[in-house]
Amino acid sequence: MSTKKKKTMENNQPLDFIDKIIHEPARLSIMTLLYVIESADFLFLMRQTGLTFGNLSAHMSKLEDAGYIQVKKEFLGKKPHTMLRLTKKGRTAFEEYRNNMKQFFNDLPT
Amino acid sequence: MTEPINLKDIEKKAYRFTFNDGIYDLTYATLLIMFALAPILRELIGLGYILFLVLPAPLLFLLGIRYISLPRIGLVKFNQRRKTTQKKLAILCIILVPLTVILVLLTAVQIFPGSYGTLLGVYTVPIGAAFFAIAFLSFLAYLLEFSHLYAYGLIIGLGILISELLHDPVAPPWNSVIAFGISGTLLFIYGIIELVRFIRTYPLPKEENSIVN
Repeated sequence: MSTKKKKTMENNQPLDFIDKIIHEPARLSIMTLLYVIESADFLFLMRQTGLTFGNLSAHMSKLEDAGYIQVKKEFLGKKPHTMLRLTKKGRTAFEEYRNNMKQFFNDLPT
Repeated sequence: MTEPINLKDIEKKAYRFTFNDGIYDLTYATLLIMFALAPILRELIGLGYILFLVLPAPLLFLLGIRYISLPRIGLVKFNQRRKTTQKKLAILCIILVPLTVILVLLTAVQIFPGSYGTLLGVYTVPIGAAFFAIAFLSFLAYLLEFSHLYAYGLIIGLGILISELLHDPVAPPWNSVIAFGISGTLLFIYGIIELVRFIRTYPLPKEENSIVN
């Protein structure tokens, strides 16, 4: 890609630095919660985020695919139990996202 | 969004969410009611009353958390800071809770009626026990960031003093029944209301996995 074309693309997409996986509100709320605690089960996240089972499940898969969260499925007695925690990659990505957003809003002209 | 996101507030909110079920209030209320009934039970069943004093509250707490709270709000493990605090609390409780129970028993059951100190007369032990209970529970409230514990401390501290003050005008065991029974019953009613509200707000999930059984 030529330098000129690259520069034009950068100008057209000034918000490229935003991690779109995290930026979605539901996933941001999951990531934020998992950032401040050590781990939680599926039900606790449902209660805290207000997401439905299906919604949370879908967002969880996306975060897991991105390597941001670790999903540990186990059985307690006969019932399935899912614990979620942030991976190191997820923690770093969240911190970067947070710093980038801070920087972005700080740099906005008032 | 009108308010800035504060990570500490989010963690605090998640933490306080786990105290939302009324089970802590019911546990403490049960303990107070058992204090109120202790002298009567002692008369009826002798030393076996200690079992009634020590067992019901922790049992109610464990069963409540296991069968009511966890299946409705799920399981969470908090960060290292909270874990360290909980370890310190556990050590503190192991040392101080039996001591508190003994001090309260000295007052409520009148085991050593003639051996109180001389400075404050018969009120030495009650004042000491009341101060100790208030200080201990306030310290727990501070560490656990659970404000109800300040009220619990005051209720039990004042209960000890009231029990002693009522010793002459109201004969035992009714002084204990009044001193701990009224606050215990009121707290129990409050706990039931909180529990019903909690169960209504967070019914058992139909489609989600439950951590119990």
